Amino acid sequence: MFSWLNKKKSASVAKDRLTVAIMTDRATNSEYPFMNELKAEIIEVVKKYIGVREVAIKKEVDGEVEALSIDIQLDRD
Amino acid sequence: MGTVIAVISGKGGVGKTTTTANLGLGIAMSGKKCAIVDFDIGQRNLDMIIGLENRVVYDMVQVMDGDCTIPQAIIKSKVNENLHFLAASQTKDKSILSSEKVEKLVKELKDSYDFVILDSPAGIESGFEHTIEFADEAIIVVNPEVSSIRDADRAIGILDAKSQKVKDGQDVKKYLIINRINPAMVQSGEMLKSDDILGILNIQLLGKIPEDKSIIDASNQGRPVVLDNKSEAGKAYIRVSKRLCGEKVEFVDVESEQAGVLKKLAGIFR
Repeated sequence: MFSWLNKKKSASVAKDRLTVAIMTDRATNSEYPFMNELKAEIIEVVKKYIGVREVAIKKEVDGEVEALSIDIQLDRD
Repeated sequence: MGTVIAVISGKGGVGKTTTTANLGLGIAMSGKKCAIVDFDIGQRNLDMIIGLENRVVYDMVQVMDGDCTIPQAIIKSKVNENLHFLAASQTKDKSILSSEKVEKLVKELKDSYDFVILDSPAGIESGFEHTIEFADEAIIVVNPEVSSIRDADRAIGILDAKSQKVKDGQDVKKYLIINRINPAMVQSGEMLKSDDILGILNIQLLGKIPEDKSIIDASNQGRPVVLDNKSEAGKAYIRVSKRLCGEKVEFVDVESEQAGVLKKLAGIFR
């Protein structure tokens, strides 16, 4: 009968859901605008010495620490 | 030299155009010269909200293309001589804007007005980017509702990445307006509290605007609600406008406004 008393109010549900969603968004969307240029330049530099197949750059946010992870796939031939 | 303010949001339909119109007029009512520019190309709306739709001859794209001058294209408000308006183009081609053209227009306006308010299109595409590019400050409009807040966070991220001021190593000031607050729903726990929204988005509060029927009534007539000093939304917009003009105005706790029974009772005796 008093079950509505225990039910979480929808505003606090919204707050929890938003907090999580925005944290995830910020982590994935925090690409720099110059990401493509950076990628092209890295390919150029590495290419001078060795074949490159693919370069993937990702900005990773973990709490207060931000890191740029650069994954370079080499061309075997 | 004036201040250029971009009014933005992530999601559409949160009240950007209404906010632009009311802040523009509110600032004008405070005695400052203010130009409001509709950057929502292809969806001209600001002209209707301020009741100037019949006066539009030239639009901002024609100014940018050099087909006419700013004084030729500017339309003066009928209700306040300090408020001037520049209409959006009805062209469907949004790619018509370029950074150089926008910069030139914004600079020229900045030289002749105390405030230049740019009404951004919804979404985060090129039109949005051009609106924020040369702004000194940005007002982010949200509704107390999950999708609007989430999209606003994304828009803030893009603002930080694309703003010329940020690129120059300066800060672009960011303010939040929470629009369409329903006090009764906040009190009953069915609507997000302003403090929660501020905590999530982590930007400075500029004002809280309550949901108000007078807004629709105002836009029906093309007379922004800020002219109606009896309406709660009108009073809230006046407070925000004064804050923008540098006045210290106490924040009113819109959310704990007496709603429901008491107000209805009061209504009977009015």
